[in-house]
Amino acid sequence: MSLLSVRGLRAGYGLVEVLFGIDLEVDEGELVVVLGSNGAGKTTTLRAVSGMIEAQGEILFDGQRMNGKRPDQFLAAGIAHVPQGRGTITDLTVEENLRIGAWTRKDGEVAADIDRWYETFPRLGERREQLAGSMSGGEQQMLAIARAFMSRPRLLLLDEPSLGLAPLVTAEVVDRLRSVTAETGAAVLLVEQNADLALGFAGRAYVLEAGTIALSGAAADLKGDEQVRRAYLGF
Amino acid sequence: MNNFLQVLVVGIGDGAVYAMLGLGLVVIYRSTGLLNFAQGELAMFSTFITWTIWEVGVPLPLAVLGGMVGGFLVGALLHQVAVRPLGDPHLRPLATVIVTIGLFLAVNGAAQLIWGTLDKDFPKLFGEGQITLGGVAIAWQKIGAVLVLALMVLGFWFLFQRTKIGLAMRAVASNSESSALVGVPVPRLLMLGWGLAAAVGTVAGVFTAPGLGLGSNLMQLTLIFGFAAITLGGFDSPLGAVVGGMVVGIMTSVLPQYLPIFSKMRLAPAFLLILLVLLFRPQGLFGRKQVERV
Amino acid sequence: MSTSAHDRTARERWVRGGIWLAVAVVLLVLPTQFPEFRVEQFCSWMALAVAACGLNVLTGYNGQISVGHGALYGVGAYTTAILITKAGWPMLAAAVAAAVVCFVVGVVIGLPALRIKGLYLALVTLAVATLFPLVIEQFPGLTGGSNGLAITSPRLYRGVVRDKPIVFEPAFGLAGDQWKYYLFLAATVVCFLLARNLVHSRMGRSLVAIRDNETAAEVSGVPVATVKILTFGISSALAGVGGAIFALNNARVNPSSFTIVVSIYLLVAVVTGGAASIVGPAIGAVLFGVFTDVVSPSLPARYQPATPVILGVLLIVLMLTAPGGIVGIAQSLRTRATARRLRSSSEGTTGPATAA
Ligand SMILES: Nc1ncnc2c1ncn2[C@@H]1O[C@H](COP(=O)(O)OP(=O)(O)O)[C@@H](O)[C@H]1O
Ligand SMILES: [Mg+2]
Repeated sequence: MSLLSVRGLRAGYGLVEVLFGIDLEVDEGELVVVLGSNGAGKTTTLRAVSGMIEAQGEILFDGQRMNGKRPDQFLAAGIAHVPQGRGTITDLTVEENLRIGAWTRKDGEVAADIDRWYETFPRLGERREQLAGSMSGGEQQMLAIARAFMSRPRLLLLDEPSLGLAPLVTAEVVDRLRSVTAETGAAVLLVEQNADLALGFAGRAYVLEAGTIALSGAAADLKGDEQVRRAYLGF
Repeated sequence: MNNFLQVLVVGIGDGAVYAMLGLGLVVIYRSTGLLNFAQGELAMFSTFITWTIWEVGVPLPLAVLGGMVGGFLVGALLHQVAVRPLGDPHLRPLATVIVTIGLFLAVNGAAQLIWGTLDKDFPKLFGEGQITLGGVAIAWQKIGAVLVLALMVLGFWFLFQRTKIGLAMRAVASNSESSALVGVPVPRLLMLGWGLAAAVGTVAGVFTAPGLGLGSNLMQLTLIFGFAAITLGGFDSPLGAVVGGMVVGIMTSVLPQYLPIFSKMRLAPAFLLILLVLLFRPQGLFGRKQVERV
Repeated sequence: MSTSAHDRTARERWVRGGIWLAVAVVLLVLPTQFPEFRVEQFCSWMALAVAACGLNVLTGYNGQISVGHGALYGVGAYTTAILITKAGWPMLAAAVAAAVVCFVVGVVIGLPALRIKGLYLALVTLAVATLFPLVIEQFPGLTGGSNGLAITSPRLYRGVVRDKPIVFEPAFGLAGDQWKYYLFLAATVVCFLLARNLVHSRMGRSLVAIRDNETAAEVSGVPVATVKILTFGISSALAGVGGAIFALNNARVNPSSFTIVVSIYLLVAVVTGGAASIVGPAIGAVLFGVFTDVVSPSLPARYQPATPVILGVLLIVLMLTAPGGIVGIAQSLRTRATARRLRSSSEGTTGPATAA
């Protein structure tokens, strides 16, 4: 049974419908990407899957029905969400961002976990007392990812990490992300417009067009697909 | 010179009270982004609660604690029923102003309904005594106000810098969506902010009431002084509220000595201060967020 | 189908006409049916309605929030009172002067309001409203200070000139209060028609465009600064006329009549009636008047402060559930009724069509 299973997901904002019945699966520890152009509904999909907005259809996580639950219940179940634009809390320091990331945890290992992420992301370790808002985009993206992992998720939702980052920085972020997932065994549902990057990272991919899944399959297959190449890879 | 020092002392004592009300306004502005025009009325209401508890024979300091608890509950409740359903104040400024104005009316009327329209004598928390230092008389009440303000600042510092709840409150103030994403119960923290602001306001009311007499209009002038304090200090800066409160207190107490026109219009310099700061330095002395103006 | 839709709008026009006619008849008959003190209360409702109309132009249509219109109302009232009492002006001239003075004051306030907006403008105007009565008390020579000022005009009485409180003499077979009522009614109607024409003019569209999106308005060529300043002036002038009516009606002015509470009541009138609709403030003012002058005094003294509680709660509930006020509620009821009628009539027309 897959870790996350979404069936017939419909969502929108007020009277505006954005998603028209989406089916998605993510297995334990799997890296999956959702590709789609601007406005396709990628962000909306992630917001529905982390309980930020109401949605119809079925959201099963670890076999448990999540519809109608609060965001903190999604989080407690093991779904962490790094929103588009990173969502670091800019008026808090790096360390405070990590501590707030552990808000739902009641165990005594928070401090040890923070130290562990400082080892994985040394650049964060060097800037513990710095305000998050004063860091570079790449550093903030790493902080956002580390903060999400502070809740010890089994599934990470990651929304366009490449946005506004230089290619080299993006490569570094993805590199770190790969080693973190290997280390923790967490699954990732990545949303991207940058197909080249995303297909290199993920094992499986979906293509979202105007609120419906237009294509899906193994990342390698999609990379070779004529249609995808033309629409998203630009060659 | 002595006269100047005397006036200065009075100003510092008043300023401490403005700072207390200002601190409450800052807590609300930081967490919910709104200017709470009902803050003064909430303070008045919980001062009445304090008075009621004191009247039945409870020592005043305990009664003040009771009033703070009462104020906390009223503030938290009003946030839940009236403010929370509004959404982002800067998207609906008119609705936000109207709701806080509605609270102003309702709380003011409620106080009159419950406690009548006759002003009450209110005792001084630190008694009637005074000490004389180098020819300057300093009332214990003034010293007490400054001490209480210092305690309050210490308390806020501890809450915001040293506790998990305080960290979460700062997180919500900075970015409520991201805070929700890490599981912070945003609405409950906003409610907490309103409760705290009202509790702090109680103390401002307790220091204002002995001079003016406790009536439903108790805090209407103090509210403007409190707003002047945080406009100068910066709407989102607790430090600014304290510094701003002191400046406003000293200014409104010293200025009339040289410009007699202000002696019965102590509000006028405070008003000019609000106007000038908003025009020329809308973020105030210590504020970080850019106040919208373009 | 199109003809029946046409019939419907024609019918709606008839209904509207009928309602207005009924309102006009009631307004004209009112002073003949009530004792003098009531008629004077009606006059004070008109004063409030005109000032609320002014506030609505600024806040409802243009989106500039003023919690200080009570002060402008006061400036209008004091200008009228001082010009009559101290300078011997005739009433009408004094009232017109009040409008002009308030226009100028409004323009002066409008200038800083170009940079101070939203909640912050509300703060500044709140401070103005709180400050106003204190300023009035500072100049007793002119304003009568905290004792207020009885509005008097010199009268020759058996060879001696004496200051007598102004009164509206009986005229045209009308009692003094009735004559006063009709005069104020005419002024009120003129003010509301002026506001209506303003709102439906090119400038009116600019007002709304600025409220909805200032940057977009600027880009599409609206002279934003000029329009906003003018709006502040016009809105204040209307508040001033309201104040003039208030002063003439009471024949005296007191600083305590122009506290922050009046500014709040003006907002209450605008919001309960319906911001950004012309008749809204009038409905709100009447509702408010009924509350404070009829309902509240009928309560035991102990429970009279219930009025602000009810008004405050009403304000909050309206804002959270029906931001369009009473007019908004009426409009949504009407569109719902129209939709229902359209639906049932379209069922009626498709029914036989499919049968045929
Ligand atoms: N808060 C919102 N309110 C209304 N419409 C929105 C909102 N957020 C997104 N939309 C609309 O939903 C559609 C999908 O948006 P989004 O999910 O952000 O797309 P993507 O992330 O793929 O670029 C777009 O047409 C966008 O305009
Ligand atoms: Mg997106």
